[in-house]
Amino acid sequence: MSGLLNILVVGLLLGGVYGLVSMGLNLIFGVIRIVNFAQGELVMLGMYGAYLSYYLIGLDPYLSIFIVVPALFVFGVLIQRFMLQPLQNEPMMQVFATFGLLLLLQNLVLAITRGTGYTVPSDVSSIVLDIGGLKISLVRLIALLAVTACALFLSWFVKHTMPGKAIRAVTQDRRAARLMGINVEWAFMLTFGAGAALAGLAGVLLSPIYTMSPQIGGNFILAAFAVVVLGGLGSVWGAFIGGFIIGVTEALAGYYLDPALKHAIWFMMFIAMLIVRPSGLFGVAGAEEVGLREQS
Amino acid sequence: MIRSITRRSLMIAALAGTVLAGGALANGASAQETFKVGAINPYSGPTALYGDEVTRGYELAAHAINEKGGILGRKVEIVRGNATSPQEGIAAIEQLAGRDNVDVFIGTYLSAVSQAASEAALNYNKLYWDTNALAAGLTDRGLPNFVRSGPYSVSFADRSAEFVANLLAKELGKQPSELTVWIEHEDSIYGTSIAERQKEALEAAGVKVLGVGAHNFKAIDLTDSVLRARDAKPDVWINTGYVPDGNLLLRTARDQGFKPAATVFVGTGDTKETLEALTEKGVEGLYVVSYPRPDISEEFGPGSAAYLDAYRKAYNQDPIAPQSMAAFVGFKMMAEAVEAAKSADPAAVKAALAGFDKPEGSYETGFGVKYDDKAQNVRAFPTVIQWQSGKPITVYPVKAAGENKPLKIK
Repeated sequence: MSGLLNILVVGLLLGGVYGLVSMGLNLIFGVIRIVNFAQGELVMLGMYGAYLSYYLIGLDPYLSIFIVVPALFVFGVLIQRFMLQPLQNEPMMQVFATFGLLLLLQNLVLAITRGTGYTVPSDVSSIVLDIGGLKISLVRLIALLAVTACALFLSWFVKHTMPGKAIRAVTQDRRAARLMGINVEWAFMLTFGAGAALAGLAGVLLSPIYTMSPQIGGNFILAAFAVVVLGGLGSVWGAFIGGFIIGVTEALAGYYLDPALKHAIWFMMFIAMLIVRPSGLFGVAGAEEVGLREQS
Repeated sequence: MIRSITRRSLMIAALAGTVLAGGALANGASAQETFKVGAINPYSGPTALYGDEVTRGYELAAHAINEKGGILGRKVEIVRGNATSPQEGIAAIEQLAGRDNVDVFIGTYLSAVSQAASEAALNYNKLYWDTNALAAGLTDRGLPNFVRSGPYSVSFADRSAEFVANLLAKELGKQPSELTVWIEHEDSIYGTSIAERQKEALEAAGVKVLGVGAHNFKAIDLTDSVLRARDAKPDVWINTGYVPDGNLLLRTARDQGFKPAATVFVGTGDTKETLEALTEKGVEGLYVVSYPRPDISEEFGPGSAAYLDAYRKAYNQDPIAPQSMAAFVGFKMMAEAVEAAKSADPAAVKAALAGFDKPEGSYETGFGVKYDDKAQNVRAFPTVIQWQSGKPITVYPVKAAGENKPLKIK
């Protein structure tokens, strides 16, 4: 029984990691209706940002949040303004543009690092809490708390603030929102910036766990797509809950069946969900029709 | 109209003729002057660091050979062919064989590239000499232009099994039959083929294999793999994989309190990348089966210290990875084979291979040389290091270890 409990805890902590990576992707998807293929690369930039802060000024990764997250917010705003906005009326081109961004960022980092695997040292990374035989890594616990805080903050933000309400209005109907005097371009920039900042946060919080490589973003992005589809396209809580579902499924399947099968199992769930409920558990009906429904 | 076309095409033909003749002349002249070796490795992309490192070994060997008069009386020149994928491997061969007219090819950090590139080289009837690719299938093909001078996946599997059954059993104060092992591997052909061979070899030695686990080297989480191994309570935990998954496994084992009496990594885990990820304390005692390092004893690998000096002098740093010394030795073996054949022709070189019979301990890496009927050198083996106070120290074979001793197992 303690074995099962341990696996569930492992799965929940892993779910926190997945949720953290998926939240920014889902925000961008829900509002701007772009599948941002470069989201994993933004996470990767967050990781390297943490490394750079450590390398240049000896900063602990948890302190580098205050540099990396704002930097990625600005980067996200710039991407939206100068890359995606000019392609606003061509959704397919926007998707290709994010794919191009993926290749650009990956190869840029590759050229700079020559493919050496870096690790950010943090005193926190080796701390493990032992609660009645359950081993809880502090880094993963912090990631879990952070994703919960982000979900709470985001759902409060979109419900109770004017910029948040503007974002919701834009999500529901761009044309009507524009007629109401909402600056749609501005709302998009804010959203992409926030999505990139969330990716940066995920990168920094995960940097003490992984050995960085320029391709590491790709390892996260497949899982993030599954999380987003399962939890619900465009829903803040969808990414949160979806992360836990995928995390727990993976841990159970990996331990009790076979680690080689775990990805097959959650992709089966992914496909089943697409067939049964295309908008996901918490998604808005019709949200999956990205690029198909007329937007202007 | 007709006249003008004729005149123009005449001019173009004349121009092309001049260029071609000039090119042929230049090629002919340089082919006589130097012995060109096409070095096929990744010089860009995620494995560029290691491709460069392997080619550094070739450069050092070429330098040493040139000081003694070169190959077939010609000065050796290395031409780099960048290949990060099989397709690029083929393109690099075509370019180097066609444009640069190289005499032989040498490589390869990546087995998949070696596979495609050596077949492409056969079309030009050029020798493809492999010093570093590991896949067993490469020599199994029986390609008439392919020779491998370095250790391969089978040598890695056999050496790791022999190390566990001999040295580790002794260190743990157990008979091999009392020893239990969990074999973990990444799930591509690389890890899987080594793990299968390890299982056979360990069981043949009487060691009990409690289980075999596979994982994807890109996995976000490996706690399940670690818990399965931990719950089996093995004396020895063996893993074959790449750097990122290896580091994640070690971290997860630490977090989950999995402390087997000995942990043995195969192929990776002996570089700075692992030391930085786990810290000195985290890697202390970890064994890694890998290419022989320059710290092996002079008795085992004569000239290894001189190699290290030459490397430091040429590149102002210590070797990034141990692959370069195997590449260095492999290049020398290639030169010896071409000299013995008095030609770089693949058929002549292959025929000359039978004449080579040197015992282990003949080269800097401790390799000997004897080729089997598939042109695989069967006297090239990896060695085993142990991390001790932040340094990789060679501990096995005992002769290679010299004064070094493994840490006492608690």
